[in-house]
Amino acid sequence: MSKQEFLARLRNGLSKLPQHDREERLTFYSEMIDDRMEEGLSEEEAVCEIGDIDQLISQITADVPLEKTKSRRRLRPWEIILLVLGSPIWLSLLIAVFAVMLSLCLSLWAVFVSLAACALGGIVAGIGFACNGHALPGLAMIGAGMVCAGLSVFMFYACKAATKGMWQLIKRRKRNE
Amino acid sequence: MDVQLKRGLLDVCVLAAIKSEDSYGYKIMKDLKPYLELSESTLYTILKRLETANMLTVHTAEHGGRLRKYYHITKDGLRRIEDFKKEWSEMLSIYRFVTKEDIDHE
Repeated sequence: MSKQEFLARLRNGLSKLPQHDREERLTFYSEMIDDRMEEGLSEEEAVCEIGDIDQLISQITADVPLEKTKSRRRLRPWEIILLVLGSPIWLSLLIAVFAVMLSLCLSLWAVFVSLAACALGGIVAGIGFACNGHALPGLAMIGAGMVCAGLSVFMFYACKAATKGMWQLIKRRKRNE
Repeated sequence: MDVQLKRGLLDVCVLAAIKSEDSYGYKIMKDLKPYLELSESTLYTILKRLETANMLTVHTAEHGGRLRKYYHITKDGLRRIEDFKKEWSEMLSIYRFVTKEDIDHE
């Protein structure tokens, strides 16, 4: 086989590869052949030393997907079967965990909302009381309302942090799969 | 030789081949031939992997009217060789320990 023929067949066999990758490999092999010829080998001999071209092509195309998707692990058949069979268990557990996390989050927010509502209610009612002549109770209510307002601000930050934390947990678990 | 062991050794061998001076593909293959069997496609993969890991750099130079790629070892590459030497000096003492009884009984 001539060098040109070898390279043409190689280019053809590696057509599925991205162009940059393919051209790089072709340059590499072309160089290898040239170097061998420089050592005194004939073109035929140089190409011959590279080995069987069909074997080479299948070897390269088998390797490339592995290089590209090194991060994702391929599931073996028995693992898939086990996953499917066990799905009633792990799937419902997963839903349960999710539901618990969600309800925890929501209840935190509920506390915040009720604190905010108390704050608002307290202040408004307090003003109402105060304006109607009940100054002291009114003031007390305003005071209580302000305390609630302060607490609700803290609660707001706590809720935000908890929600963010839970979101990141979910994201990280998704990424690890 | 065990396939897994060989795979780990090939990287370091290629680095060693370009340690003292820059080298090119075919010359690296020739240098390694007495020690390890290496095919072109394997060498290509190793060189690509080492380049991605920043253990070598590639540059093209003219040679005999054509272009040739030369590989140059980096600091990280040199460090990899040093780590290899440390690992193997440990392995050597373990080897001596494992074969000691055999030698004593001979």
